[in-house]
Amino acid sequence: MHVTSLSLRDFRTYERLDLALEPGTTLFYGPNAAGKTTILEALFYLATTRSPRAGADRELVRWDAQGDIGTPPFARLLCEVKRSDGKVRLEVVVQRRADDEGQLTGASLKTVRIDRRAVRALDLVGNLRVVLFTPADLALVTGAPAERRRYLDVTLSQLNGRYVRTLSHYQKVVQQRNSLLRAWRERRRPLRGADDELAFWDRELTLSGAYVLHERLAAVAELNTLIGPIFCQVSAGDTPLIAAYQSTVAGLDGLPDERAIEAAFLANLARIRDDEIGRGQTLIGPHRDDLLLSMGSISVGTYGSRGQQRSATLALKLGEAELMRARAGDAPVLLLDDLLSELDAERRSHLLAALTQPGQQTLVTATGMEDFDAAFLAQAKKIRVENGRLYPS
Amino acid sequence: MTNVFEQSGLIEPVARLMEEFSRLPGIGPKTASRLVFFLLRAPDEQAHALAEALASLKDNVRFCSRCFNITVTDPCMICSNPSRDQARICVVEEPLDVLAIERTSTWRGVYHVLHGRIAPLEGMNREDIRFDELVDRVRTEQIDEVLLATNPNLEGEATSFHLHRALAPLGVKVTRLARGLPTGGDLEWADPSTLGSALEGRREL
Repeated sequence: MHVTSLSLRDFRTYERLDLALEPGTTLFYGPNAAGKTTILEALFYLATTRSPRAGADRELVRWDAQGDIGTPPFARLLCEVKRSDGKVRLEVVVQRRADDEGQLTGASLKTVRIDRRAVRALDLVGNLRVVLFTPADLALVTGAPAERRRYLDVTLSQLNGRYVRTLSHYQKVVQQRNSLLRAWRERRRPLRGADDELAFWDRELTLSGAYVLHERLAAVAELNTLIGPIFCQVSAGDTPLIAAYQSTVAGLDGLPDERAIEAAFLANLARIRDDEIGRGQTLIGPHRDDLLLSMGSISVGTYGSRGQQRSATLALKLGEAELMRARAGDAPVLLLDDLLSELDAERRSHLLAALTQPGQQTLVTATGMEDFDAAFLAQAKKIRVENGRLYPS
Repeated sequence: MTNVFEQSGLIEPVARLMEEFSRLPGIGPKTASRLVFFLLRAPDEQAHALAEALASLKDNVRFCSRCFNITVTDPCMICSNPSRDQARICVVEEPLDVLAIERTSTWRGVYHVLHGRIAPLEGMNREDIRFDELVDRVRTEQIDEVLLATNPNLEGEATSFHLHRALAPLGVKVTRLARGLPTGGDLEWADPSTLGSALEGRREL
């Protein structure tokens, strides 16, 4: 798939941007803080309804954006995507909320439209599939388990609408269940009848949790066939990278079906009930799991060299792109944010090789052109970005 | 007693009404003063009608002792209507839901208003809503069917689940509102989760 156009209004630094895009590689270059990353961020947002940067949605609205008289300022993102099954128009409007006195509050309101029809934000995900590569990806290997859960979730959400909806349901159940457990821990509720009161939440937790676990286990099994060889190539070694899904739910060895996972999850819950009440939290489930990355018998995150960690990161991201291509039958749009300067020549050439596949659309940002070889520059469309303005060359 | 409005130099009757208005949801000090000065200029009858309507709201509206819907008479019009099927109870979360179901002209039974739903995150549990009152009703009255019409979201489902567990041992038929597609809709435009539940809830013809 590829994006044919992107327009932004009052999004971050852009008061207005109208950009036509083509398949193949487009290079955005220019000084720091010129607005290169914002273009990639906008596409990531249209794909996932989330910003890859931390912060509230309201920060997406340009700081001095003017609303019409009586309406709070808003940011508008719009793109058109050409897919193997036709064209689709995606639009998100983030409007800041004002209180009764017309003062802007910290809240914002998100409106999402597909082909001009309003839909829930969750239903936008998957219409445009992207894989974002940034220098911060290293945290995928070296950072907390939440980074690796997010990696699996962002990938699976774009591939499978039911995954997005089930995960969102699961997260709501965890919150409700936690506040019930907390009430018991703080003795605000009598413990008598706890089993009865938890019955519904346990059922919803294990039902939706089993689906999430099943999808993650299947994706990790598939990823392993992809990242192993990529890692060997990128790191020029012969020890493959292996990803192992490590669940807090015991007894998920092999690739059990959803019913078996649900049963194991329920049995686990019964065993740790007192502990959960004592801690006032849901202690097991996909929201607590991790993905272990190892080379042979050593953990890459703990014992790998910086170079091996970079190779593992790259293998995971390229594996993500391959998984999307294999499952959806349509290549995702690759967004490479200021990445090439971080990589040595060897890894860079592996990455660039992946971009030259037919039909692949890739958007690359860089401060200058010195990191690219002549062959790359010859086939890329180049756009200079300065102070939020684009100068195609 | 002084309030912020009086401190800012307003005469007492004006400041007092502003204070009252600004306690209402969605009304800040600016809107409150706009309302007060509007009423000052309005004809006397209008202000008196408003005062009378407010007083009557609290004096005359109460909850039906049987179904807990809002009512003037007790039992309410629906509970005391002999042409309604008193053996079938439709359980809803809020009084507004009764209006929604009444608009369908399809339900001939009576109601039970829970005044809330089970949502631990909001501190709402079984004892915070009219849950046990319904169980008592089913136990003491001759009831053939309880239709659970709580909202089709997580909290509404939790409420239905617990009601079902409490009512099933009493031998009453418990039904749940179906989930599915809007009438006059188009499959192509249905959102995936609604279409998904319509598929799961399919029925044989």
